[in-house]
Amino acid sequence: MTATDSSQLEPDTHHETGRPQDAHVDGQGAQSPPTARTESPQPTAALPPVSVGSDSSQADSDERPRATRVAEGAWLGGVCTGLARHLGWPVMAVRIAFVALATFQFIGVIAYGALWLLLPPEPTVKAPGLESASRAGMRAESKSKRRIDWGMLLALIALGIGLLWIMQNTGLGISSKLFWPVAFACAGAALVWRQADSTQQKRWRDEAGGKAWLAPFVARGGWPSLVRVIVGLGLVGAAFGIVLAQRGQISHLPEVMAMTMLALAGLAIVLAPWLHRSRSALNQARAEKVRADARADMAAHLHDSVLQTLAMIQRQADDPKAVQQLARRQERELRNWLYGDWLHEATLKAALTAAAAEVEDERGVPVELVTVGDCDTSDSIQALVRAAREAMVNAAKHSDADKIDVYAEVDEDSVEVFVRDRGKGFDVDAVAEDRMGVKGSIIDRMARHGGSATIRSAPDGGTEVRLEMKR
Amino acid sequence: MSETMSEPSSQTAAAQRGPYRVVIVDDHAMFRTGVKAEIGRSVAVVGEAADADRAIAVILQTRPDVVLLDVHLPGGGGVEVIRKVHEKNPEQKFLALSVSDAAEDVIGVIRAGARGYVTKSISGGELIDAIHRVAEGDAVFSPRLAGFVLDAFSGSIDLATVDEDLDRLSQREREVLRLIARGYAYKEVAKELFISIKTVETHVSSVLRKLQLSNRHQLTRWATDRRLV
Repeated sequence: MTATDSSQLEPDTHHETGRPQDAHVDGQGAQSPPTARTESPQPTAALPPVSVGSDSSQADSDERPRATRVAEGAWLGGVCTGLARHLGWPVMAVRIAFVALATFQFIGVIAYGALWLLLPPEPTVKAPGLESASRAGMRAESKSKRRIDWGMLLALIALGIGLLWIMQNTGLGISSKLFWPVAFACAGAALVWRQADSTQQKRWRDEAGGKAWLAPFVARGGWPSLVRVIVGLGLVGAAFGIVLAQRGQISHLPEVMAMTMLALAGLAIVLAPWLHRSRSALNQARAEKVRADARADMAAHLHDSVLQTLAMIQRQADDPKAVQQLARRQERELRNWLYGDWLHEATLKAALTAAAAEVEDERGVPVELVTVGDCDTSDSIQALVRAAREAMVNAAKHSDADKIDVYAEVDEDSVEVFVRDRGKGFDVDAVAEDRMGVKGSIIDRMARHGGSATIRSAPDGGTEVRLEMKR
Repeated sequence: MSETMSEPSSQTAAAQRGPYRVVIVDDHAMFRTGVKAEIGRSVAVVGEAADADRAIAVILQTRPDVVLLDVHLPGGGGVEVIRKVHEKNPEQKFLALSVSDAAEDVIGVIRAGARGYVTKSISGGELIDAIHRVAEGDAVFSPRLAGFVLDAFSGSIDLATVDEDLDRLSQREREVLRLIARGYAYKEVAKELFISIKTVETHVSSVLRKLQLSNRHQLTRWATDRRLV
C-alpha cells in the first residue's frame, strides 16, 4: 500500500471528512488551490489503527466537515444542506433562516447566490472499479438519489411569500418602487446562474451514475437551457423596464431597449467564436487531465501492488501455500481498492476488517467477514476486537479449517461477534481451564470490559466463539 | 467445504433427471473456461455469452435450467439480462456471480429477479450445489448476501410502510439469515434451529420474495444512507 493507492481520478475529489476543518462559510475554500495531491492520502486496504485510545465520538465533534455544496438531498444548489452539515444544524433551520433573510431586503437571496458561487461542490467519491464499470455501461443505472420533498418545498415557498407580504405591508420592507425591479432582477440572475451550475452538476452526476430523467434539463446547450437563459435575461430586462417606467421615462423605453439589444447582439457576434473556441479548449483540457490522472493512478497502483505480488509469486513458485497466501492478499487489496467501502474512520467494521486481514496474512487461512451495522470504537469495543482477533488466530492455528467465518452485528445496545470454523473442535470443559489463550485473552478480557464470551465446540463440528459486549 | 453444503436428496434428484443445463454469462473468457472446467462434469454447459445482448439471445434459445450471470456485464449489466429474459420467459432462473462486493449491485441483481448470489471465489463443489439449489427452485444466500439483507431490513429501513408485512422479516427468518451470515450451511442451520432443511429453504425463499417485492424507496434510502448509490 502506498501513497498513490487512494488518489482519485479527479484532482479535487478527495475525502473531506478526515481533515480538520478550517474553511469558513465565506467561501475561502473555493479560492484555495486544490490540495488533493499534497494531502496525505488514506490507503484503502491499510486501515486505521485499532489502538486509538481516545474516544472517537468526541474527536468527531471537533472535526466538522468543510462547508461545501452538497448535491445529495439538495433542493436548489445544495448550499443549505452543505452549510447545515458544516454547522451541525438541522437543514430545515438553515433553509428557514435563508427564506426569512430573503424577505428582509433580499439579503438571503444575495447570500445564497454568493455562497452558491463561492462554495466548492462536494466531491463525490466512488471506488474506481465501480466508476469504471458505470462508465462502461456494465452496471445497471442507479436509482435517483434526490427525492425532493415537494410538500416541504411548497411550505417553504409559502412561508417566504407570506413573510414578504407582511414585510411589504408593514412598511418595513423595501419601498415598492424598488421591490419589483429587484425581485425580477434576482429571479433572472438566478435562472442564468442556475444554468451555469447545472452543467457542472451534470458532470458530477454522470460520474455518480447518471440520472436519465434530469439529463434533458441539465445537458450542455440543449433548448431548455436556451429558454432558461432567454427568460432570465428577459426578467432582468423587465427589471430595467420597470425602473425606467417609474422614472416617468416610459416613452423612451422602446428606444433604450432597442439600443441595449443592439449593443448586446453586436457584442455577442464579436465574442461568439472566441467564446466557443475557449470553451471547447477548456473542456478538452479538462477531459485530458482527468484521463491522464486516471492513467497515472492506475499505473502506479498496478506497479505498487500487483506487479510486486507477481514478482513475489514467481520467486516463491515452489511453495504453494505462500503463493496462495500472496494471491489471496492481493485479491483482497485489489477488490477493496476497486469496489470497497471507504473505511476511513475508527469504527468496529474497520477494526475487524484490519484484524481479519492480519490473521489472513499471518496464518494463511481465508477469513470471511460479514458485518451488519457499525459503530464507533471505544475501549470496550477495542477489547472486543482484540478478543475476536485472538479467536480467529486460535481457529487458524488449531482447527485446520480451510476457512474462518466472522460475523459481527451491531444493534442499539450491544455488539455481537461470532468467530466460526469447521475444523476439528475440542472439549471445552477440559481445555478452557488451563489454556491461557482462550481463558486469558478471550474470556477474561471480555469479562473485564463488561462483556461475555461463550465457546461452543464439538470434535466433529468445529468451534464457534460468541462474543458479546454492551455498547 | 462442498460436503457441508451438499445435500444427498438434490444430488439424487439431479441424477434421475439428467444433469442440469446451464448457460454461463461472463465477459471474461478465462473465467468462463475455468468455471466450465470446474462444473462441466456435474452439469451440462449448453451455452456461453460475453455481453448482455448475446446472453439474452442464447438464454431464450437454449432455455437452460440455470443461468450463471455476472453482475457487471457490457450492455447494461446482469440486471438488464434478467429483465429482458423475464419479459419473454418469466420462469427463467438466474444465479448471480460477481467479484464486486458493492451492496447496491448485489441487492440490485437480486431485486431484478436472480434467485441467489455467490462470489466468484466460490469453490467448484459449492457452485455445483448452488446451481442444484437454484434449479430446484430454492434460493442461494451466501454469508455476505445474508449480511446485506439483514443490514437492509434492520434499523435504517424498517420504519413506516405501505405494505408492512412485506417490509419486515419474521423473527424466524432473521434467525435463519443470521446463522447463514455466521457461515452455517443450510443443513447446519436446520440442526441449530431444530427444523428441517426444507423449512430453512422455505424461509430463505420467503426472504428472497420479500427482498424482491418490498418497498423500493426504502431500499433506495438504505443504499443512500450507506453512501452507495
